Amino acid sequence: MLFEFVNFLADAVPQEFIMKGLGAIGAGIAVLTGIGPGIGEGNVCKAAVEGVSRNPEASGSIRSTMILGCALCETTGIYGFVIALLALFLVAL
Amino acid sequence: MQLFSFLAIDFSKIDPYPAELFSSLCVILLLIIICIVVKIKSKKVDPLKKPKGIMLLAEMFVTFIDGMVAKNMGKQFVKHFAPVIGLLSAYLFLSFIWGLTGFASPVNLYVVPLIMGIITFLGIHIVSAIYTKSKYFKRYTSPMAFFLPINLISMWAPILSLSFRIFGNALAGWIIMKIIYGVFSLMQVGAINLGFLALVITPVFHAYFDLFSGFIQTVVYIMLTMLLINSEVPDEYQQLETDNSVDN
Repeated sequence: MLFEFVNFLADAVPQEFIMKGLGAIGAGIAVLTGIGPGIGEGNVCKAAVEGVSRNPEASGSIRSTMILGCALCETTGIYGFVIALLALFLVAL
Repeated sequence: MQLFSFLAIDFSKIDPYPAELFSSLCVILLLIIICIVVKIKSKKVDPLKKPKGIMLLAEMFVTFIDGMVAKNMGKQFVKHFAPVIGLLSAYLFLSFIWGLTGFASPVNLYVVPLIMGIITFLGIHIVSAIYTKSKYFKRYTSPMAFFLPINLISMWAPILSLSFRIFGNALAGWIIMKIIYGVFSLMQVGAINLGFLALVITPVFHAYFDLFSGFIQTVVYIMLTMLLINSEVPDEYQQLETDNSVDN
């Protein structure tokens, strides 16, 4: 059923449209990497809040460490973003 | 160009002199001018009096970078590495906020973050070669000989991770700013164009994506550079400056 549908699409639609559509879908999937850094940064903030509530005097150094950790966690999301941009500009657009 | 034919890039469409390169030259010129001014002023200034104006800023910056290098890399690096770290951080932060002037920001061109990653890579390997001398090539076969292909691939990871981090952050901010400006240029109620609202709202986003994000990425870049280089120094040569207040 699905194969027939795909074959029908491949015959009916010009090749470049399929390429562009697949590129756009790939870009959308690549941006899903944002899930990971979201969870990671949530964990970082949770640990920082716990640290501040246990030891309020250390809040200054905890804040700077937290921002550094958040920026490090972001990296994997950035990789996905760059791949999505490559898929968009080299294939889809 | 035959090498990259599988990417299907039309190289004739790519601008050989992108605007970002000229922005990068402007940033370097600005840094050179600031350095010359500080150098001239530092000869006239009286060391016993309190520093003022640009001298105060320069002294704060140098003290901050020296302290960071002594704390994260070790005292033996302060003489040779603190100027490098200071230059890299000043160049990167100025590149990030150069977009505020209206010109293209140098970090939006992938070559610039790539070069910054390569600088860190060279730092790692040169320091490793200096400290381990003839045993330098042992790092490729550690812990066992069949790890050689894995080590040969993973040695390039710092370049990719550092350059993608800077480039992705700068580009994400740039794209979001473009979208915001586009939304304001289209906003219209009846015959009234609401584009003037951009004057009030976009500075907030500029402050986040250019100033805050640029500062954080600069700090992360120099911290990672220092930590990666310090991890190549053997334990017996470590001279980390410990904070006395933490000891008790």
